[in-house]
Amino acid sequence: MSTYYAPLAEMQFVMNHLAGLEQVAKLPGFEDATPDTVAAILDEAAKFATQVLDPLNASGDREGSKLLEGGVVKTPAGFKDAYLQYCDNGWNGLTKSPEYGGQGLPQLVATAVEEMWHASNLAFDLCPLLTQGAIEAIELRGSDALKKKFLPRMVAGTWTGTMNLTEPQAGSDLAAVRTRAIAQGDGTYKLHGQKIFITFGEHDYTDNIVHLVLARTPDAPDGVKGISLFVVPKFLVNDDGTPGARNDVHCVSLERKLGIHASPTAVLAYGDHGGATGYLVGEENRGLEYMFIMMNLARFSVGLEGVGISDRAYQRAVTYARDRVQGRAVGLEKNAATGAIIDHPDVRRMLMTMRAYTEATRAVAYVTAAALDNAANNPDASARAKAQAFADFMIPIVKGWSTEVAQEVAALGVQVHGGMGFIEETGAAQHLRDARITTIYEGTTGIQANDLIGRKTARDSGAVAKAVVAEIHKVAATLAARSEPSLQAIGVALAAATADLQAALDWMVPAYGQRTRAAHAVAVAYLKLWGLAAGGWQMGRAALVAADQQAAAGGGDPAFLHAKIATARFYADCLLPQASAYARTVLHGSESVLALDVEAF
Amino acid sequence: MTILVLAEHDNASLKSSTGHAIAAAARLGGDIHVLVAGHDAQGAAQAAAQFEGVAKVLLADAAHLAAPTADNAASTALSLLPGAYTHVVAAATGFGKSIIPRIAAKLDVAQVSEVTAIEAPDTFVRPIYAGNAFATVQSKDPIKVLTVRTTAFDSPKTGGSGAIETIEAAADSGLSRVTGAELTKSERPELTSARVVISGGRGLGSSENFKLLEALADKLQAAIGASRAAVDAGYVPNDYQVGQTGKIVAPDLYIAVGISGAIQHLAGMKDSKVIVAINKDPEAPIFQIADYGLVGDLFALVPEFTAELG
Amino acid sequence: MKILIPIKRVVDYNVKVRVKSDGSGVDTTNVKMSMNPFDEIAVEEAVRLKEKGVATEIVAVSCGVAACQETLRTALALGADRAILIETDVELQPLAVAKLLAALAAEEKPELMILGKQAIDDDANQTGQMLAALLDWPQAAFASKVDIAAGVATVKREVDGGTETVEMKLPAIVTTDLRLNEPRYATLPNIMKAKKKPLTTTTPAALNVDVAPRLTTLKVVEPPKRKGGGKVADVKELVAKLRTEAKVIT
Ligand SMILES: Cc1cc2nc3c(=O)[nH]c(=O)nc-3n(C[C@H](O)[C@H](O)[C@H](O)COP(=O)(O)OP(=O)(O)OC[C@H]3O[C@@H](n4cnc5c(N)ncnc54)[C@H](O)[C@@H]3O)c2cc1C
Repeated sequence: MSTYYAPLAEMQFVMNHLAGLEQVAKLPGFEDATPDTVAAILDEAAKFATQVLDPLNASGDREGSKLLEGGVVKTPAGFKDAYLQYCDNGWNGLTKSPEYGGQGLPQLVATAVEEMWHASNLAFDLCPLLTQGAIEAIELRGSDALKKKFLPRMVAGTWTGTMNLTEPQAGSDLAAVRTRAIAQGDGTYKLHGQKIFITFGEHDYTDNIVHLVLARTPDAPDGVKGISLFVVPKFLVNDDGTPGARNDVHCVSLERKLGIHASPTAVLAYGDHGGATGYLVGEENRGLEYMFIMMNLARFSVGLEGVGISDRAYQRAVTYARDRVQGRAVGLEKNAATGAIIDHPDVRRMLMTMRAYTEATRAVAYVTAAALDNAANNPDASARAKAQAFADFMIPIVKGWSTEVAQEVAALGVQVHGGMGFIEETGAAQHLRDARITTIYEGTTGIQANDLIGRKTARDSGAVAKAVVAEIHKVAATLAARSEPSLQAIGVALAAATADLQAALDWMVPAYGQRTRAAHAVAVAYLKLWGLAAGGWQMGRAALVAADQQAAAGGGDPAFLHAKIATARFYADCLLPQASAYARTVLHGSESVLALDVEAF
Repeated sequence: MTILVLAEHDNASLKSSTGHAIAAAARLGGDIHVLVAGHDAQGAAQAAAQFEGVAKVLLADAAHLAAPTADNAASTALSLLPGAYTHVVAAATGFGKSIIPRIAAKLDVAQVSEVTAIEAPDTFVRPIYAGNAFATVQSKDPIKVLTVRTTAFDSPKTGGSGAIETIEAAADSGLSRVTGAELTKSERPELTSARVVISGGRGLGSSENFKLLEALADKLQAAIGASRAAVDAGYVPNDYQVGQTGKIVAPDLYIAVGISGAIQHLAGMKDSKVIVAINKDPEAPIFQIADYGLVGDLFALVPEFTAELG
Repeated sequence: MKILIPIKRVVDYNVKVRVKSDGSGVDTTNVKMSMNPFDEIAVEEAVRLKEKGVATEIVAVSCGVAACQETLRTALALGADRAILIETDVELQPLAVAKLLAALAAEEKPELMILGKQAIDDDANQTGQMLAALLDWPQAAFASKVDIAAGVATVKREVDGGTETVEMKLPAIVTTDLRLNEPRYATLPNIMKAKKKPLTTTTPAALNVDVAPRLTTLKVVEPPKRKGGGKVADVKELVAKLRTEAKVIT
């Protein structure tokens, strides 16, 4: 049996020493995020994750959400209570504006807290996550009236939010959205159409649900420039703020899925009975543009889902590996061995891989979160712009790489369990199934890679990318110059990865303009190369901090610091070398990717 | 050296815990006096006098001691202290735990709780961190005030004939009074916090047969659990399940009845301090981790076990 | 009515403690520390009494090292109004804590003090009772229900084999048992507000209390490891061994 415990010491190490919590807490508006308060917040969140959310994860998976008569959705036992408690405890408003009842805390703090929710119960957290997206869209471009009507309740969580983008013919390509919105002349619109795959599109938590819907007005231009964004509540809202008449949006079915069973994935029908009343957000035809602004954070959060699931799978695997007795470990004296499989070198290899990937993806995500905070609140305009550019660059990497890594980590989690991993009872299989969605929604890995090579790399001729490469190079040089053999070794490996990165970047910028198909053919390899190198960068920094703390008297938990350096070294020796393989693919692989004609498949 | 033992009783008779406290006192060496503070408690006093090694029973009789409050019980004991005694001992039961600290505080001495072994008249072993460590402590105070774990000291033989002496009860403080008592016969402790857990597996064969475990559980004040196989077979509800996907328990004593010991079950109980396994299959994996394995037919052995506990 | 809630900072419930190799004690460096779980129940009970309008002020107090401030902040986040740290680096034993609390009670004059029945580190189960004796107050240890009306506390307390009801004149001491209540989680807004609530510090010297330890710990050892694979021949042998060897039944 494995219980989820938030890795508080590790989280705080990353926040304090890699992401720079102290600097973030000096930004105007974030003054409350002092280390002691943050520690208290993390402690309490960890308790909630361990005691309330984790115990519901397996039962929620087994039971799943169900569609009953009349479009009513029943979530698994315990979920509604947990959700109400989650809201009562104020977690929904962590980063939200105090104006609407939130706490206005930095994204960096929210990131650690969110990782705990993802790790302990991914399906549960999707509802707050989507609500967060909806809140942001309204906050960003909604009218004051819309804000007043919806935000306080959504921030409190008494109403939840959804994001309605996908339609049967419009998934990755949202330009194909067909849902129609017809102005009624009174400022409202009537919507008609069908949305699919809508997470928590219907549920039994709250007495209203606020849908954010992409749709087209009749005279809108074709393509991406003709999509508008609407608020469509399940129940229209009376002037006194209470839910009024039932709106014409109905759940017509729930999907049966590979994972996240507790999260209802709804097909929503709009306007089957005369039209669903909607309110325009911002201006007509600019919906997709708004959506992309908030998509940044949503994609970041999904990347964090990868981190959370990886950590959960790792914790479960370690527990099992300590317990399961099988075979005598090679090379250990008879009596020295525990007899448990954790003594087998190959099991160690798997656990170290899981651990190193988890720590690396976490560090990259948290550092990106700190950049988002600086982009939002740094008083210096140029610092703001620089942080924004860095965050924009990193987000497809956080989303694409952390979720792809989670597949490998969750699969290793099953492997460590042997046959029992394939049996649902141990819980290892659930992590693998749950992880699988993370590379798909909020833009598949392919879409992230397209974003990375295009808007994020080629558009500025690789300027931001080059600046990041230079940073990585600096850390590699610092490491290589140290006297400690471990740090030197990490430095050498990181320097090699930096060279690979540089070569891939040098190839990608011109290729994107001149050989578009070739560039796209190796885009995911390019993204994974970036992920690996960024992970190496942060693990290298972590090793430096840990070594310095070791040298200073009373500088921290010796066991933690030792493990940190050992894990960074493992990452450098055993994972980072894949960077050169990806670089080779980027430089030489595109031709063979595209070699066959469609007919040949 | 003279030791004062506080007797726990219901006036008519002595609680068995008192015997264990007297046994601990005997390990200290020295004269043993037993204080019976109650009302019409001659019965309890006589029982106390019969323990071997008890030199004297002090009987304090007062109406307000019939069901005494902690402060009244403590002040009668304190009226004998300090001076005559080197040690004050009570069993670490709800009774002893309520009163002994008051006595220690009034004497301005430290108390040693839940003693499991006596190394010297001033040196004691006691569990800390829920039994995950054992500390040996030495008291420098003139009077040693202890509560002792009943399971650590076997009751002495009876057949002695200590003298019974009547003493004055301390006056009622009037600060509090006991207004009622409810003896719940066998409210089962919670699975996760019980000191003793008895779990049944598929070997029990039916939900009817789980009743077998109840009689034993009553005797041991134990909680009842089950393996997943027994839950899946519908013998008991879900919340009985001990194991990977059920509850994690770590009681002082875990008794596995008709459970083979799948790894998922072991994960839920392997931290128990003492494990007993009863199973008819001598090859069952549960025996590998059991301290005391008993091979045989549970339908015969469990009732025999219950009977043997008296 | 003012309620004083003494709380202790202990090794977190979920931490599996390790005995130091030199046998001098339990290794508590770099382990997670939290509020003693029974004290959380005490705080919860006080907060409920305040919510019911019975209590007007809740003061949390902790005795020990400076880091106990974190634990006091937790109490403030859970609903205490202010906090007092009696700061000392001396290893405090229950008698010393009871004396410190008695001295503080003389200044603060609470009508009720609720303590956890025991701390999960030393498992002593003494402080509340000792405090009651020092103050000459009535006590109800191991409470499972507390009602306060007209200067009287009516407490249902857990005794072996059942419950007992005690009526006490205030001021009085209550110690909490597991079943008294289920503590709430601190809410995020309250964690933020706790920062701004008053927390003052005093010392044993200022309270004129000698806190020197009375018990000396000679050594600390791990419990014997279970080997497994042991067999007994019959029920008689089993019961005998459980009694005399394992000492888990009487
Ligand atoms: C459980 C679940 C929950 C969801 N929740 C929501 C929700 O709440 N709201 C919402 O609006 N949507 C939601 N979705 C929809 C989700 O965002 C889409 O499924 C996703 O964006 C992919 O779109 P698609 O399914 O149409 O796949 P397609 O777009 O058909 O993609 C199929 C394959 O083609 C590739 N591909 C497509 N276009 C390109 C391209 N330009 N370049 C390279 N490769 C390409 C993809 O990478 C993928 O491998 C959810 C989906 C699921 C399964």
